[in-house]
Amino acid sequence: MDSNLGCLRRQTLAVAWVAARANLAYPLEVLGRAGFLAVILYIFLRLWQTTYEQSGSDKLAGLSLPDMIWYLSITEAMWMSAPRLSQQIDQDVRSGNLSVLLLRPMAYPLYCLMSNLGERSTRFLFNLLISFSLALLLVGPVKLCAEGAIMTGTAILAAFILDGLAHILIGLTAIYFQDTSGLTLIYTRLTMILGGMLIPIELFPDWLRSLVKFLPFPYMMYEPVKLFARPDWQEYLKVLGGQSLSAIVLTTLVALVYRHALSKISTNGG
Amino acid sequence: MKLFSYLKLALAYFKLNVGIHSQYKAAFAWQFLAMVLNNCTWLAFWLIFFERFPIIKGWGRQDILTLWSLTSAGFGLSTACFYNLHNLALLIARGELDVWLTYPRNAVAHLALAKMSPTALGDLCFGYIVYLALVRPDAAHLLAFIVLTINIALVFIGFNLMRGSLGFYFAQAEAISEQWFFAMITFSTYPSCLFEGLVKLILFTLIPAGLVSGLPVEALGMKELRADLIGLSFLGALAILAAGIGIFNFGLRSYQSGNLIEMRN
Repeated sequence: MDSNLGCLRRQTLAVAWVAARANLAYPLEVLGRAGFLAVILYIFLRLWQTTYEQSGSDKLAGLSLPDMIWYLSITEAMWMSAPRLSQQIDQDVRSGNLSVLLLRPMAYPLYCLMSNLGERSTRFLFNLLISFSLALLLVGPVKLCAEGAIMTGTAILAAFILDGLAHILIGLTAIYFQDTSGLTLIYTRLTMILGGMLIPIELFPDWLRSLVKFLPFPYMMYEPVKLFARPDWQEYLKVLGGQSLSAIVLTTLVALVYRHALSKISTNGG
Repeated sequence: MKLFSYLKLALAYFKLNVGIHSQYKAAFAWQFLAMVLNNCTWLAFWLIFFERFPIIKGWGRQDILTLWSLTSAGFGLSTACFYNLHNLALLIARGELDVWLTYPRNAVAHLALAKMSPTALGDLCFGYIVYLALVRPDAAHLLAFIVLTINIALVFIGFNLMRGSLGFYFAQAEAISEQWFFAMITFSTYPSCLFEGLVKLILFTLIPAGLVSGLPVEALGMKELRADLIGLSFLGALAILAAGIGIFNFGLRSYQSGNLIEMRN
């Protein structure tokens, strides 16, 4: 039992490591992302600088202007690190490549999840390096503490798992729909707005704020990143609780769809 | 007379491209809707933002609605008819321009008009629907909106020619061309009042987003129409278009064919 678990752990880590290394092979792409991040962060800085000046307030949603820019630098780094997982799964399902991938010594969704995690974590760290440098240049340093970094780091990792599960679910629905690109678009746009990537959820109108509390989107971005500016162990446990609940629901749905997808596969050839 | 001839050519290409895309009705409809939905998300962000902060440097909800209507309609018009310009850097890098150089009219016209993006029609319709339904203009404003949509389309055509022509001057120019385009789109969708000084200068030259989100939105100000700003927008658009054509034609002199046997698809 122990050796099986150890083998699975080694396999999953190896998949994540291979995906991470593959991502480092394209330095020009990394540079391109850096340029785009610089443009976005500069525009955000101008937008929020103006907003803070006009509102006459030092803090909005409990965040000072530097806090806000650092918050946005993390959410942008997260957003821009997302690989096109659902589209890849969609292609695997529709092209029949899935039947070949099933020969791997691990479940296909787990393979996708770990590969995605490895690739995304590498991209995220690079993006973070760039966006933190830009934030430092634009608004100077903010108060950092080890506790906040640990809380945010682990919650972001859990957020990546949640997002990966949602993408796997969408990609697997290619078995029912001709094309899942529309579903992916709807999902990513909902994450962008309701996840608080562009504007912290505390600045939403009351009706929308009370609605998103019951959705998984805030746990994919806003709640983990908020811990960076306001570290609080009680809040951290709440975030982890919300993420765990969302992960259980998403994993169950992935398992159901995957099991059904397997029963639909017919392999021809020799 | 020459202009009329090119307009007839554009119409012929447009009909041909619509015919091609209408063969894949479901995909066409879905891409159209996806783009509308994408724009709606951004609009939702701005509506949330302006509900919380009603005025930012004199800009309000109506201005941001006008900005998004104008940008998406102008960009949609340019991409619906001149989509192939988005591939220009790649075509040059691969030495695949030959097929376009054999036509009797200007090479740029055939090259640019050859392809249409179905998502661009979504942008175009989104722009007009939002302007008519949410801004609710009078006849004069609507007329000015149509003129400015064409102006913005000219800006994007000139800009796409400029960034695509980088392929004549640099190896692997696609990445720079793409980043330049992203910067243009990003600056074009944020209020121009946020930018001052050197950045403002850049936005009227190197990244001409000021001719998309700046002058046209001010020209359509809700209280009174500014004919002088519409005129300036038009002159700016012509300048960008002329620069684009000039850079393309100059670069064309150093073009090296890939000696490929090609068929237009």
